[in-house]
Amino acid sequence: MPKIHIVDPVEERKPGKLKFPTVPLNAYKRTVAEEAKTLGKDAIVGMLEDMMLIREFEFMINEIKTAGVYQGMEYNHPGPAHLSMGQEASSVGQAYYLNVDDHIFGSHRSHGEILAKGMSAIRKLDDDTLMDIMKNFMDGECLAIVEKHVKTDSVKELARQFLVYGSLAEIFARKPGFNRGLGGSMHAFFTPFGIYPNNALVGGSADIACGAALYKRVNAKDGIVIANIGDASMGCGPVWEALNFAAMSQFNTLWPEDRKGGLPIIFNFMNNFYGMGGQTQTETMGYDVLARMGAGVNAEAMHAERVDGYNPLAVADAIKRKMELIKKGEGPVLLDTLTYRYSGHSPSDASSYRDKEEMDLWEAQDSIAWMKKEVKEAKILDEAGIEAIQADLVSVISAAMKLAIDDDVSPYVDPNFIEGIMFSNNTKPVLDDREPELDDAGDDNLRVKQISRRSRAGVVDGKVVPKNKVFQYRDSIFEAALHRFKEDPTMVAYGEENRDWGGAFACYRGLTEALPYHRLFNSPISEAAIVGTGVGYALEGGRAMVELMYCDFLGRAGDEVFNQMSKWQSMSAGILEMPLVMRVSVGSKYGAQHSQDWSALVNHIPGLKVVFPVTPYDAKGMLNTALSGTDPVIFLESQRLYDIGELFEEEVPEGYYEVPLGPPAKRRDGDDVTIITIGATLYRALEAADTLKEKYGMTADVWDCRSINPLDYEPLVESLKKTGRVVLSSDACERGSVMQSIAANLAQMAFDDLDAPPAVVGSRNWITPAYELEDAFFPQASWILDAIHTQLVPLEGHEVSSNQTATEKIRQNRLGV
Amino acid sequence: MATPIIMPRQGQSVESCILVEWLVDVGGALEEGTAVASIETDKAVFEVESPEAGTLVARFFEEGDDIPVLVTIAAVGEAGEDASDLKPAEAGGGEAAPEPEAAPAAAAEAPAAPVAAAAAVVGSGAKAVGISPRARKAAAASGVNAEILAGSGPEGRVIERDVQAAAAGQPRLSAAAKEAAASGLAVPAQGSGPGGMVLAGDLGATAAAAPAVVVSAPVGEPTEVPLVGIRKLIASKMHESLSTTAQLTMNMSFDATGIIAYRAKVKAQGEALGLPNITINDIVAYATVQVLRVSPEINARFLGDKSVQYPNVNLGIATDTDRGLMVPVVHGADQLSLSELSATAKPLLKDCQTGNINPDFLSGGTFTITNMGMLGVESFTPVLNIPEVAILGVGGLSLKPVMKDGEIKHVQSINLSLTVDHQVVDGAPGARFLKALCNSLENFELTLAK
Repeated sequence: MPKIHIVDPVEERKPGKLKFPTVPLNAYKRTVAEEAKTLGKDAIVGMLEDMMLIREFEFMINEIKTAGVYQGMEYNHPGPAHLSMGQEASSVGQAYYLNVDDHIFGSHRSHGEILAKGMSAIRKLDDDTLMDIMKNFMDGECLAIVEKHVKTDSVKELARQFLVYGSLAEIFARKPGFNRGLGGSMHAFFTPFGIYPNNALVGGSADIACGAALYKRVNAKDGIVIANIGDASMGCGPVWEALNFAAMSQFNTLWPEDRKGGLPIIFNFMNNFYGMGGQTQTETMGYDVLARMGAGVNAEAMHAERVDGYNPLAVADAIKRKMELIKKGEGPVLLDTLTYRYSGHSPSDASSYRDKEEMDLWEAQDSIAWMKKEVKEAKILDEAGIEAIQADLVSVISAAMKLAIDDDVSPYVDPNFIEGIMFSNNTKPVLDDREPELDDAGDDNLRVKQISRRSRAGVVDGKVVPKNKVFQYRDSIFEAALHRFKEDPTMVAYGEENRDWGGAFACYRGLTEALPYHRLFNSPISEAAIVGTGVGYALEGGRAMVELMYCDFLGRAGDEVFNQMSKWQSMSAGILEMPLVMRVSVGSKYGAQHSQDWSALVNHIPGLKVVFPVTPYDAKGMLNTALSGTDPVIFLESQRLYDIGELFEEEVPEGYYEVPLGPPAKRRDGDDVTIITIGATLYRALEAADTLKEKYGMTADVWDCRSINPLDYEPLVESLKKTGRVVLSSDACERGSVMQSIAANLAQMAFDDLDAPPAVVGSRNWITPAYELEDAFFPQASWILDAIHTQLVPLEGHEVSSNQTATEKIRQNRLGV
Repeated sequence: MATPIIMPRQGQSVESCILVEWLVDVGGALEEGTAVASIETDKAVFEVESPEAGTLVARFFEEGDDIPVLVTIAAVGEAGEDASDLKPAEAGGGEAAPEPEAAPAAAAEAPAAPVAAAAAVVGSGAKAVGISPRARKAAAASGVNAEILAGSGPEGRVIERDVQAAAAGQPRLSAAAKEAAASGLAVPAQGSGPGGMVLAGDLGATAAAAPAVVVSAPVGEPTEVPLVGIRKLIASKMHESLSTTAQLTMNMSFDATGIIAYRAKVKAQGEALGLPNITINDIVAYATVQVLRVSPEINARFLGDKSVQYPNVNLGIATDTDRGLMVPVVHGADQLSLSELSATAKPLLKDCQTGNINPDFLSGGTFTITNMGMLGVESFTPVLNIPEVAILGVGGLSLKPVMKDGEIKHVQSINLSLTVDHQVVDGAPGARFLKALCNSLENFELTLAK
């Protein structure tokens, strides 16, 4: 909502015709002989070698999958193998001009891209740098194996063997593999060569690569980013979101001069015409030609063109031209790179959906056969030379396989290793050494001034400070964010209403004045891209704080949260970190699709830290902790609480402090019953505790599970040892909630101390009704008392207002409600 | 729809029965009234009958299971019918239900049950929802028997506060004292243990574990006979008796010439008068009852801190059965004539032999008589049937030399062995009772005249 741009109705209502740029199809015309003169013969031979390397590598895996033997070595590989035979030219041509700073993100079918980009890097890096990379990678473990078994004086030769072995060991799930075998065939990568995570979710790399490009743009880093995704991924929402995100006008219209320009990214669709068993061009898509889609994204039609992926020179040429455009700030780019896979989608796919005739036609134009013919005709190589290359490749791949399948040389990781890489648990307050770019972020900032007039204590002289005079929960979010913006130059924040508006709940008011556009901006209504770009931004080494305006929108970012944000630290064997904080506001008042607490969904996913602070003190302290760490944190906030003051700590400190993630907070000391809450229910639980004391003479030990994962159970167990009774409550629907999970654990951990089974009081397993009916849906203080009375210890004279009996629960569950 | 076969309630005091033996296999044909299983209370064996004709379609318990009364143990229906919906919650693999609160053969019930006035509410025995783990822990620490408490938690669950209330109303009890207290013995305000802890001895009773069957190796292939049912109860009861009381046995014989003659007379002429066959045992029992009427210190029970003396006599008559010693009780024996006493006791004894005794006739005694005379025993030391304070043992007829009219004559005499609990009854009152009884028997016609 940039105020400097007026949307003029006169302009908008004018009649006219919209014209689209022309989209070139297979425009490349040069011959191998001609390119040999410009690029040199070695370049041509190198391309052929790399294509043959990929072909032989994939052939080897295909032999293992289908026959269980390659070059006399027997092996069973039960894991996945999505082979790219037929697509070699598209990846080798792409890698030719790329430098190590240029990062590629791939798909499940990316063995060829790994090898092509790896060989490109090996050719471009000098020997010393190469040796440093190999020595420093996983303490030289992979290198040591290769050095011991492969005798060569050539660093580049060693590096090629390193690349092939490291990739193969990874595919075979071996510990010396590039990601300790925890990524595997579909996810292998090697960042020192600019090969970034390959992704098993179709189109999964689109928004992540977009985030990587965002990182390069925001932090003025060299290089471009390529998202290698398939033609069928054009049917995926998050891919569209990424295309649009990368093409946002604000990069050209609003961002500062030194950060201006569309994102430096090529969305390269490896178009092999099939998505699983569906033929895209004629069956499952309507685009006719994939490259057409660029025209729907921006005025430049994303500089889209169709490139002949059966000719590596055509691809290299296209990449070169697009890189020049991108360097001028004219990204993003869309490429429709034609190619064809000879094998099925995977070993279980017999290609029953395509004609043998079609496959024969493509194989008749096979890029490797064609290149061999061309180099012979151009007298660059003779048949003997080609045969020598082939023999060399077979020996390299055989050597790698021999090492990779040897359990002594290439063992599997101790499974306990995985526990240690689920989180990086590092504290890195600053992720780059440049001066952070700031505008009006000092004491003159309007928000800073406003806060300075507020009481940092919520209670003064025994009286609760009025809302408009107290330091509120939303001020805590602001202070923690501003602190990190001032410290860490890589820190960015974005979401659907983050700038100007200051966030739907005014947490960021004042940040618009404090920060230039590239550090705080409005995103499209694209939850998948919001989170996915955050993932890419963090993988590249930056710190992002993204926002989902309502928890209910989490489903829109399902894959990005469940499979990407949560997984890459561990799937990289701890090589990558994920300093990404996702703020999620939990609503109320707005009915069924704006009032849900889905903490259970994120808590269920391994690899996420999940917190739900409910006091201003914790909000600031926990956001500080999240923003100085290196792990992905889901930061839940309740819309009921943005305006509350601090009622538990003396005040919210002005300076920096951290609240550790893990320990629950004790909010009230008591002896007779433990009440554990998650989220805003704390305040209703305190009401219940008051009534319990006044009417029934019982005191409650009240605990706030502000950190859901990790969670330190010991204080809770200690409390149960004291009271013997526990009721858990939160605004989440009861079934499958975090409360049920905690209740089950406590029943086990403190069984002998329990006087009754844990009682859970959640929201009804219904839609959230209108605000006027919410009291029948969200847990009330009276429900907590009812549960205590009905399930834990009868309260003399208590009259229940809700049915908390086991019989009722059986009835409800029978009905599924 | 199959029909449940339930574990019958064998008397008011019975909470559960042992399933001794299945008499019909699943699939077996049943008539209405066919005995399906034999069951045993701690006092007797019964048969469970099928309520209707059909096929036995399910059995929910194993032989040896201890099953609460009124629980479905089997189902009768049409062959092949699925009766799994009748399967009770109590059924399961192995031991289905906890060992019942054993009601000893002569537990205090019929005449006033003087349970200590503890603050705890003692459960009615109805099945409550359970005892919380925390309450169990608290009970173990404070010596309260949580099993007998009425719970104040949801649906009657015994929760910590119930145990605390019980503990506050009584002194701390040792583990053994806790169990003893559960049997109804009064708990003193102060015990003799450390810090005033009440020990089992303070209650005059110790709940003892059943003695283990010791098998020594070199004596051939051993046969292990597990103690179950009545045998198990006798074991603990006898041990408890000897270990918790101060038993003093004294012997005295009387000239039985008179009662032998009386019995012969009844035998010869009684039938014509409609009199039952009067035995020596009947005569001794009758005389004993009469003397007990005037010996309140002997017709009594010892309840830890007091002796409770009864004006009326419920006479227990020990009898040997295939399953072990049983003591049927003739209630209100002091109200009966000799012939009535005889006529009342005989069917009880017979029911014990056949295992059909109503368990209600196995409790409530105030004094017990045991006769080993027919087995040739002359004199023995009867073991008290606690909490009764005395028991009379009757020996067999023997010739005893006596000085009569200046010469030694041999007279038919019977030895009486009286065991008293010296905690309550001293030797002299015991001796006086014995002397009075001997006099009564030697002058039986006068006794009858009273």
